Amino acid sequence: MHEGSITIHVAADVREIERLNQLVRRFGELHEVPSRTLYAVNLALDELVTNAVLYGFDDPQGRQITVRIAAAAGELVASVTDEGKHFNPLDAKVPDLAAPLAERDMGGLGIHLVRSLMDHVGYSRDDDKNVLTIRKHFR
Amino acid sequence: MQINEHKQGDVTIVTIDDHLDTASAPQFEERLLGLVDAGALKILIDGAALAYVNSAGLKVFLMVAKKLEPLGGRMVISSLQPSVFMIFEMIGFTRIMKIVPTRDEALRELGAPPTATS
Repeated sequence: MHEGSITIHVAADVREIERLNQLVRRFGELHEVPSRTLYAVNLALDELVTNAVLYGFDDPQGRQITVRIAAAAGELVASVTDEGKHFNPLDAKVPDLAAPLAERDMGGLGIHLVRSLMDHVGYSRDDDKNVLTIRKHFR
Repeated sequence: MQINEHKQGDVTIVTIDDHLDTASAPQFEERLLGLVDAGALKILIDGAALAYVNSAGLKVFLMVAKKLEPLGGRMVISSLQPSVFMIFEMIGFTRIMKIVPTRDEALRELGAPPTATS
């Protein structure tokens, strides 16, 4: 594993997420991050950026989202920052995984995945920006 | 993402590949709900070539299963790659959906004869 970090700016558009995933994969391979870790972090970033695009802006056109990723000491740390309205996805209702099919709700699935895949998920509102931080350990 | 479908007896077999994500999920949703609207009651989704799914894609599976249940229909998912299966498990879908390792098992589940060649 090699230490390093990268900052990626993407347009607030869900079609940008595949490009983001490719860049994250390349960063991970370069820094010898295990592929399982990379897969989990990519999915978590996908969910967080999707949330920001869909719910963070009244009009996402022309808006940007910033993703930072750092690899160090057996851990990947990433953040997703947007200048949209105050929105904390961690407030989402926790899905009831034991509910029968007819009662299963569509909401909260993405953020449940993020919480399940990551070792840490945090939200802060800094300088009128939403900042989501995730951490994933690996050996 | 590519979606293909064909009929085998009364089973509609749908294959998807590559990325099922927020950008491609609406297309998958339209196609599958369209099948149900057109009367398909036995739907087999073969995920052998599906490398990636996010919550937008997962919601489509949930939507289709929920739509089929009151109609007496059934969706069976087969051949998921381990990393994709893990996501289905994490979200609790392995409890509410029938997910089997191979297409032939899925066909058996749906009461259709297995394929002659596999």
